[in-house]
Amino acid sequence: MRVDIERRRRDGLALHWWILVPVFVSLALPLAATLLYAVSTRWGATLLPDGLTLEWLQRLWQTPRFLAAFGRSLVVVVASLALSLVLILPVAFLAHTRFTGLARWMNVLVLTPFAVPPVVTSVGLLQLYAGGPLPLVGTPWILIFTYVSIALPFVYRSLINSLRGIDAAELMEAAQLLGASPLVAFLRVILPNLRLGIRIAIFLSLSFLIGEFVFANLLVGTRFETLQIYLFNVRRESGHFTSALVITLFTFILILTWLGNGKSEIVAPEERAS
Amino acid sequence: MRSSSATAAPAAKTGRAAETGRAAATASAAYLRLRGVQKSFGETPVLQAIDADIDRGEFVTLLGPSGCGKSTLLRTIAGLSSLDAGDIAVAGETITHLPPQRRDIGMVFQHYALFPNMSVADNVGFGLRMRRVNQAERRERIDQALTLVDLQAHARRFPHQLSGGQRQRVALARALITRPRILLMDEPLSALDAKIRQHLREQLRSIQQTLSLTTLFVTHDQEEAMMLSDRIFLMGEGRILQHGDAESLYTRPASEAVASFVGAYNTFDAEQATRLLGHDTQGRRFAVRPEALYLVADEPSSSLPPNPGPGCPGRIVARQLLGSIVRYRVDCDGLSMNVDTLNRGARFLMATKTPVVVYADVDEVRVMS
Repeated sequence: MRVDIERRRRDGLALHWWILVPVFVSLALPLAATLLYAVSTRWGATLLPDGLTLEWLQRLWQTPRFLAAFGRSLVVVVASLALSLVLILPVAFLAHTRFTGLARWMNVLVLTPFAVPPVVTSVGLLQLYAGGPLPLVGTPWILIFTYVSIALPFVYRSLINSLRGIDAAELMEAAQLLGASPLVAFLRVILPNLRLGIRIAIFLSLSFLIGEFVFANLLVGTRFETLQIYLFNVRRESGHFTSALVITLFTFILILTWLGNGKSEIVAPEERAS
Repeated sequence: MRSSSATAAPAAKTGRAAETGRAAATASAAYLRLRGVQKSFGETPVLQAIDADIDRGEFVTLLGPSGCGKSTLLRTIAGLSSLDAGDIAVAGETITHLPPQRRDIGMVFQHYALFPNMSVADNVGFGLRMRRVNQAERRERIDQALTLVDLQAHARRFPHQLSGGQRQRVALARALITRPRILLMDEPLSALDAKIRQHLREQLRSIQQTLSLTTLFVTHDQEEAMMLSDRIFLMGEGRILQHGDAESLYTRPASEAVASFVGAYNTFDAEQATRLLGHDTQGRRFAVRPEALYLVADEPSSSLPPNPGPGCPGRIVARQLLGSIVRYRVDCDGLSMNVDTLNRGARFLMATKTPVVVYADVDEVRVMS
């Protein structure tokens, strides 16, 4: 009997490996190939590259145009995240505690940036902001504002989930009865308990936005070369060079995601226990 | 606000004096006074013109089934819910329109509402910090408050590292540390298991009595209300149905709604009551508690009340064992009622279909309004 269960468990285990391994391999293979291409001297007629080198990565990090593009991307992404947090945190808090009727509308509103394809949105934005009172097209501002709207669902959802998890309404009441004004209660009690939600919101949107191409290309194009536009523009140069770029970007996002997730895993079990 | 919390402190120490002085105090000098308090959620009325007077140092329980408005009443006193009409006054000062942070009222929630980002000591000290009490005094008073609830050793822990009972004690210490004029408790023991609940109940009552703290306690648990309170306000459908001490509420319910909530009262109409009592009766509805009925099998019993009435012959229909009590369902020619007897041992249990005579303690039969 016992042996039976053991065997069945081993079979089940085997089965799940049969599914997991191919999926993992199919996901990792292109990446591994890119990595290998980025660090190989020449990889032409043979099955394996002729030799390994860090030359491409070194050259990439010495290219001022790349560094500038990277910098621009970071500025735009960080600015739009900061703006969306400042905008959405109060909205999410009020929708959760004071104006609960708003929550229903927010759920719909928050999904609209995803419902419309980026190309359609950009055409609309171009028409609105090409001229007129607010000529934003071609400036980083339009990109920042657009990214705010894209980050909206990530930021809003993770904030609402944290607010629900800590029972923000009751904590506010408890703090106020102890003599805190609503603002002080929010800053001292609610905000520190939203750290986890805010962190997840930031890292999720950060890794998503830094790889964004369609809006960047259509709205600002070469006038404000972000990382993705730069990658697109140098695609005809050495494949080794672009591979090095892709691997750099991937590693960067991987580290960000790991930072966001790794911390949350340490905190999560405690949160659940309380 | 600070001056009023300072006046509350000496009052707490002279609790005995307040106790003896209470008899002299008339209803108009009540410490907490509610007048015509009304509240509705949309079309549904939740509180219907509530009047109440609560004395200083009194432990009052708001008892009632869920949805009767007892929690809402508590929240309006705390300032967490607004009123549609009416007035609330504490020590002669109207607080109806003050925000919660300026009412100087403490509250303990059912699910503790401790701040997860703060240690036990910081949670307890939060109220003092908000009142800008200096650090040395704060530390001393945190220590006192934690000693009061037996949690000195846990000052540096975080809420998620504590058990439910410990968390609720932290919440109590946190509410008490500012010496609030009134302590409100919204089903504070309902989330705890039976044994801890029992222990905490006793601890709560003794702390309340040492501090002579005016306390309003919301519960749906009748037993809890009776054990803790000086006075019980029984609520139903947004009104206070009856108030009084545990004994008067339990033995002298004024209406059928009260009778059905506080005990497993048997209710009768006039014709049925006449059969049980043996004489004509004044009133339309009558109620008698199952333990005020006496069962006699074949031999005459020595334990009959002084005024037993004529007795009503019938048969046992069902038997229910409630631990120390056995509850018999007895049918006397269509007149059916519950009778409680002490469970003195298996030998004394009566089987169903046993013929019996039911006597009522006539003095314990209540006329319902």
